[in-house]
Amino acid sequence: MKRRNFIKKTGVATAAAFAAPYILPSGRLFARTLSRKANHVVFCLFAGGVRNMESVHQNEGNLMPSFFAGANSTNPGLDPLPASPWPVKLRTEGTLFPEMRYKEGPTGHFNGHTVAITGVYTNTGLNLRANPEYPTVFEYYLKHNSPAVTAKNAWWVSNALGPYPALNYSNFPGYGPMYGANHIAPTSLVSLATYPTIGQPKQFQFHEEEKVMEIREFLNKNFNQKLDNASAGNYNTPDDAAEIRAFIKTMFDKGVSGQFLNPLGVPTATANNDIFTILFAEEVIKNFQPELLVVNMTDVDACHQNYTQYCNNLRKADYAVAHLWKTIQETPGMADDTVLIIVPEHGRNLEGNTVTDIYGRFGIDHTGDNTSREIFSLILGPTGVINKNQTVGTAANPVGESIDIVPTIAHILGFDAHMPAGMLPGRVLTEIF
Amino acid sequence: MRNLRYLFLIIFLGACKPTENIYMYEVNEVEVTQAGIDKSNPKSDLEFISLAYSDLFGKTIPDNTLQSMALAYNALGDKALIADLIIRNMLNSPDADVPTAQEMRADVDGFITAAFKKLYVREPGEYELWYFRSLIESDSEITPEIIYYALLTSDEYRFY
Repeated sequence: MKRRNFIKKTGVATAAAFAAPYILPSGRLFARTLSRKANHVVFCLFAGGVRNMESVHQNEGNLMPSFFAGANSTNPGLDPLPASPWPVKLRTEGTLFPEMRYKEGPTGHFNGHTVAITGVYTNTGLNLRANPEYPTVFEYYLKHNSPAVTAKNAWWVSNALGPYPALNYSNFPGYGPMYGANHIAPTSLVSLATYPTIGQPKQFQFHEEEKVMEIREFLNKNFNQKLDNASAGNYNTPDDAAEIRAFIKTMFDKGVSGQFLNPLGVPTATANNDIFTILFAEEVIKNFQPELLVVNMTDVDACHQNYTQYCNNLRKADYAVAHLWKTIQETPGMADDTVLIIVPEHGRNLEGNTVTDIYGRFGIDHTGDNTSREIFSLILGPTGVINKNQTVGTAANPVGESIDIVPTIAHILGFDAHMPAGMLPGRVLTEIF
Repeated sequence: MRNLRYLFLIIFLGACKPTENIYMYEVNEVEVTQAGIDKSNPKSDLEFISLAYSDLFGKTIPDNTLQSMALAYNALGDKALIADLIIRNMLNSPDADVPTAQEMRADVDGFITAAFKKLYVREPGEYELWYFRSLIESDSEITPEIIYYALLTSDEYRFY
């Protein structure tokens, strides 16, 4: 009887061992994600506060000729730009949500960015000096994607410093810097100001690098303290760190040799910070083909004191996104396998403020009225994956919210199946598929 | 009463037992402490940058240089990587006060001791001295820059 029990138990255990998923050293179950819609997502925060009135409604004429059809704006004070880098209107390449909403919380830039990247609305208690309270899309991806990938696949390209670098990981228990994205504020990192301090690093030969690692390992073993994870920022493997170091060096070399003059084909004198930011995002795309990249633009925020400059920068943002889409389609590995999501973080008020520009037009703030909660979203992607030339929602029947972007990204990349339930209040924008 | 006599007898015999010298063979006790055990406070980012500059250039970091380094430091998420870039850049400067290979090999112990005092603000332990002495003497490709770079990017350098 005992022998029979033994054989029975052994048989069950053996069968279970074959049937059970493989457990990685990290403790994560190995279960390859099979349900991806695409292998890359680029999320462009068309930020700074864009009002639907000037974007999808074209109240000032068409300020976004790369996105939409319509007679070009004849507003004064608009810089000449080259023709759109993409041959067809972006709007025809995907699904447009013309009346999306940023429903809750303050309409501040950092609030809006935090909502877009965490998928959770914020309140007035948001701490600008701390990482977000809830996990970012980067952490969900790096923690739950299967098989596991390194941070070289997740990038947060911000067009400014301030609180924005903190959006690459949260303080949420169980997440944090180990799952953080590689943040880069390229126009600060690769600049004339930083060239003397990081632009000319000593280059060690491979065998010298190995000796350094060996010595450092000896030293660290004899020391009992380690910097905590947050102090060390996000984590890269030594090989990935070497690649990123080489990438930064290349960016400086390109800058010094004048290759960043006339960025994206726009004359340098006309280019703004958004144009340069998108240029560097494209460099990240070409170098690393990341599976998840988030990039923001904020130059339209000039609108607080200069409405004309707002319109001018809106056109440049439109041009930059078209160039970004062109680069994605020209990058092996990402062409026809990338979903591009474009959405402002929030809108702007209906009424102007008291500041006028040289044409006597009033500036506009964003202080939480209904108009400042009206946004749009355009989601582009490969044929057969993303519905083309489709419009979802109307002013009378708004569809989509800011908090829906994170679950939609998780669904496109297929890691939503591995995420804990109840973390995200938003929904997958299934209308796009 | 009879039992009591036996007890006295046992005590008496025990007392008559010849004295033995007990020899204990062992090494002297030495208190072992970990290197840099008293360093428990992490340097802030700016402290780290400023001190590395002072250690390598022998002067206080100029404001504009500190601002430039702080800007770079904030503009990249991987702090270990950007710290590494800053240190590499400093080491690449002709003004960095790093001994030559000739000076290092002429007085290996002196080089190691000076490097530890400058960067770790302490003397090297005997084991550390032995390790570096062996390393330098057995490997002709070891340069002072390699050793300085390893020290500056080690965990201990991030604490005071």
